[in-house]
Amino acid sequence: MKEIMQKMRAEAARVLSSGEVDLVLGWEKGDLWWQSYPVFIENEKKAELLTWDLFCVPNLAKYLLEEIWHKKRVALFFKGCDALGFNQLMQDKRVDREKAFIFAVPCSGLVDPQKVERAGLHQGLLRVERLGDELTFVYKDREKKTAAPWFYYDKCLTCRYPNPVVFDFMLGEPVPVNPRERFTAVKELEGQNVDARFQYWQRQFSRCIRCFACRNVCPACSCRECIFDLTSPRWLGKATELSENQFYHITRAFHMAGRCVDCGECARVCPVQIPLTSLNRKLIKDIDELYGPYDAGVDPQKVPPLVTFNPGDPAAFLESKGV
Amino acid sequence: MRRIGVFICWCGTNIAATVDIETVIKEAREMPGVVYAGDNKYMCSETGQTQIKGTIVQQKLDRVVIASCSPRMHELTFRKTAAAAGLNPYLVEIANVREHCSWVHKDKDAATVKAVALIRTAVAKAALDTGLEPQEFVVTRRALVIGGGIAGIQAALDIAEAGYAVDLVERTPSIGGRMAQLDKTFPTLDCSACILTPKMVDAAAHPNINLLTYSEVEEVEGYVGNFEVTIRQKARSVDAAKCTGCGLCFEKCPSKVKSEFDEGLALRKAIYVPFPQAVPNIPVIDRDHCRWFSKKKCGVCKKVCPASAVDFEQSDVLIKQKYGAIVVATGFDLIGFEIFGEFGYGKHPDIITSMEFERLVNASGPGGGKLLKPSNQQPPKNVVFVHCVGSRDKSRGKPYCSKICCMYTAKHAVLLKEKHPEAQAYVFYIDVRTAGKDFEEFHRRAVEEYAAVYLRGLVGKVFPSGDKLLVNGVDTLSNQAVEIEADLVVLAAALTPRHDAEGLARMLGIGSDAHNFFVEAHPKLRPVESHTAGLFLAGTCQGPRDIPETVAQAGAAAAKAIALLNKETLLSDPCVSAVDESLCTGCLACLKVCPYKAISDKPLTEKVHGRQRRRLVAEVNKALCQGCGACSAACRPGAMNLLGFSNEQLLAEVDAICL
Repeated sequence: MKEIMQKMRAEAARVLSSGEVDLVLGWEKGDLWWQSYPVFIENEKKAELLTWDLFCVPNLAKYLLEEIWHKKRVALFFKGCDALGFNQLMQDKRVDREKAFIFAVPCSGLVDPQKVERAGLHQGLLRVERLGDELTFVYKDREKKTAAPWFYYDKCLTCRYPNPVVFDFMLGEPVPVNPRERFTAVKELEGQNVDARFQYWQRQFSRCIRCFACRNVCPACSCRECIFDLTSPRWLGKATELSENQFYHITRAFHMAGRCVDCGECARVCPVQIPLTSLNRKLIKDIDELYGPYDAGVDPQKVPPLVTFNPGDPAAFLESKGV
Repeated sequence: MRRIGVFICWCGTNIAATVDIETVIKEAREMPGVVYAGDNKYMCSETGQTQIKGTIVQQKLDRVVIASCSPRMHELTFRKTAAAAGLNPYLVEIANVREHCSWVHKDKDAATVKAVALIRTAVAKAALDTGLEPQEFVVTRRALVIGGGIAGIQAALDIAEAGYAVDLVERTPSIGGRMAQLDKTFPTLDCSACILTPKMVDAAAHPNINLLTYSEVEEVEGYVGNFEVTIRQKARSVDAAKCTGCGLCFEKCPSKVKSEFDEGLALRKAIYVPFPQAVPNIPVIDRDHCRWFSKKKCGVCKKVCPASAVDFEQSDVLIKQKYGAIVVATGFDLIGFEIFGEFGYGKHPDIITSMEFERLVNASGPGGGKLLKPSNQQPPKNVVFVHCVGSRDKSRGKPYCSKICCMYTAKHAVLLKEKHPEAQAYVFYIDVRTAGKDFEEFHRRAVEEYAAVYLRGLVGKVFPSGDKLLVNGVDTLSNQAVEIEADLVVLAAALTPRHDAEGLARMLGIGSDAHNFFVEAHPKLRPVESHTAGLFLAGTCQGPRDIPETVAQAGAAAAKAIALLNKETLLSDPCVSAVDESLCTGCLACLKVCPYKAISDKPLTEKVHGRQRRRLVAEVNKALCQGCGACSAACRPGAMNLLGFSNEQLLAEVDAICL
């Protein structure tokens, strides 16, 4: 990872000094071991701030929504999941490919600080390093080695596109693709009866504090003004109560249908651990089964299944004989 | 505050018997913004409308809610009433308390509660209504008729006579359609071709009619008054301008193919005219079966043609034309026989369809109309006719009655006896249906004068036995099994729409029923109009019917088209989509889902923090938009709003019902 970080800094300095771009979006290290924050760099001398470690999880693509209008060209770094999000923004015509200079960073998984904490490894932890499939937890006076996948984000374990699908310049070698089955949780839910499922989701949504973090982080949520913020018409009541929470999450899930790139960011940022991945993946699974496999964000030129009509489209709702 | 008037109709007892009008009035008076609530026994009547107009003026009403029948019935009526009292017609809302309430409920208390809820919903929507103004647009004064059978020919002639240009598109090389294949017509037994061919010639000769045979409609865009249609004129491989119709080419052509016109009972050449009276009398090369096109050999037709009209190089021509009105008259097919194994169709040449019987008995058909058995060219003695093959058969065929089979089978029995006086007709039937002028008399003649034996029952099996066909059936009147040694079995097959009717309906944007017959706008009051403005229906594409009904319907469809073309301009429905550009993110999902191609993108330049910035937004073509609302549903930020059915209004309705 260090090699790639060095390349990152060198390339950032290069594209800034050559004038190819007037802004670089990357990550910088925060004060604590788990903090890697987005950073905006306009001066090549500051390229040394850039970092690439096991905690560079924020997707930088959405910053383009605000920045790209004013800038000539912006350079930024994408992991596999970030690239899918960028393509979705392209499909929604919210970013301009020409204005982005994309460095691809193949990613074999990032570490979930919560898993580290749960394992009790966080006290006095200075940093985490990776060599091959092994993590080294570095403390003041000792080190601890473990198998890396134990501490990866769940979303990384099921990642199907670790190598960015869109880029101008590749940093490092592509990594092997070896995802775990992603629909396990969905299938488990599908196996339950309607009442049990309903209760399950009520339990989840009752926790929601409507911080909208899931929406704000989502690369498929890019409206100029979100309907949940509108006052006229007021689709969503302001009170944080179960029915409004349900309305919010279900409506958002439908807005994501056929557009969710399954980057898992919504579930990651949720402060109350609502399993939004299951909600999104249920729709992905249904769409795959009804209209054939479709991965949002892979090819922005492909027409998404839910905005097309084929005479042969299944119409189970028309043929059902009633309940 | 709004000044909303609520008018509750009794519809005689239709509504009043199931809904307590007094309670409804009392409740309505309490609804927000309502300043008047009143009733009338028939709100659509002269007195009802006078009441509405008077109240609008006296009470200074600014919105009107009519609680009555479906808006499809009288919305227009009440909009006109409101307009007559000076109110914008789009400030009228209908609460459908008949079809949606009184007609479907028995419990008066519950129905009353529901009627109140429906009215509260309409009041909530009305409060947010805005006056809308329709736009005027120019009508293209040209009509398209799709299908060159008797329906299409009649419609084209009628429209042309009214002085408008008509393009008559026919898929096969000649107009004439099914009627040209028929021998005699019931109940008068006049010759089908003799009465049809003069009309075919008239159509070809009419200065206002442009025949496009061997052509198919490929794409339909636009809207009433301004349809834009792409027609593919398939390569005839014969230059129509040079051809004299001498027929030397098909005399000499060595390739033989089963004739579609003769239902496969005779052969035609690869270069052919489908039948002697074809209009236009210009041959076509069937490229799939022509030796020149398959093997690059032969070319005899080209060599012998004295006019040098044969042109192998000809290619399809795409014609793009604008039309104000379209008449759809695509006719029928017979049901496929694969599922009716017991009749043995296809397994023995003497088991035929009634359409094949028409060709066998026709003087221009195979065998010169001698009506001989296809297997050995001998005259048939016993002929079994089977009614309702695929009709009135819910389980395997079609549930509907094909309507004409009873009559044409009676005709066949008569024709059989005329050709072969010693022959005997046996007719298996479920019921004999002879509703029509002189129909019953004709049927009686078949039974009494022509001695057709009618057996009420079904045929269980037909199988060959020697040079005969054994027909096993049952006569339910005598409750006896019947076995007949037949020489010929004629199956009266169910009528279905053309096999590709579904695709055409989709292309045209008209509705079709479960069997793919095109659906009329109203079964009683708008029987020749489709649900799509400017598209009219004629003939069997809409449902089984006989020739006089088809001709009448074609005339009616033509009259509707003429009334449309007669107008210089039309008013557009102002209930179309509108874009809130401040909300639109330019993702253009709306453009992708719009079935009318009414949405395009448009660059917008705006100032953001002192800087100019350009972004894309959606734009709606008001003339193309049909107000279906697909865009509104697809629009995530809610930037697409259907005027007259805005998001605010729909939410207000939901709140009025649920809160």
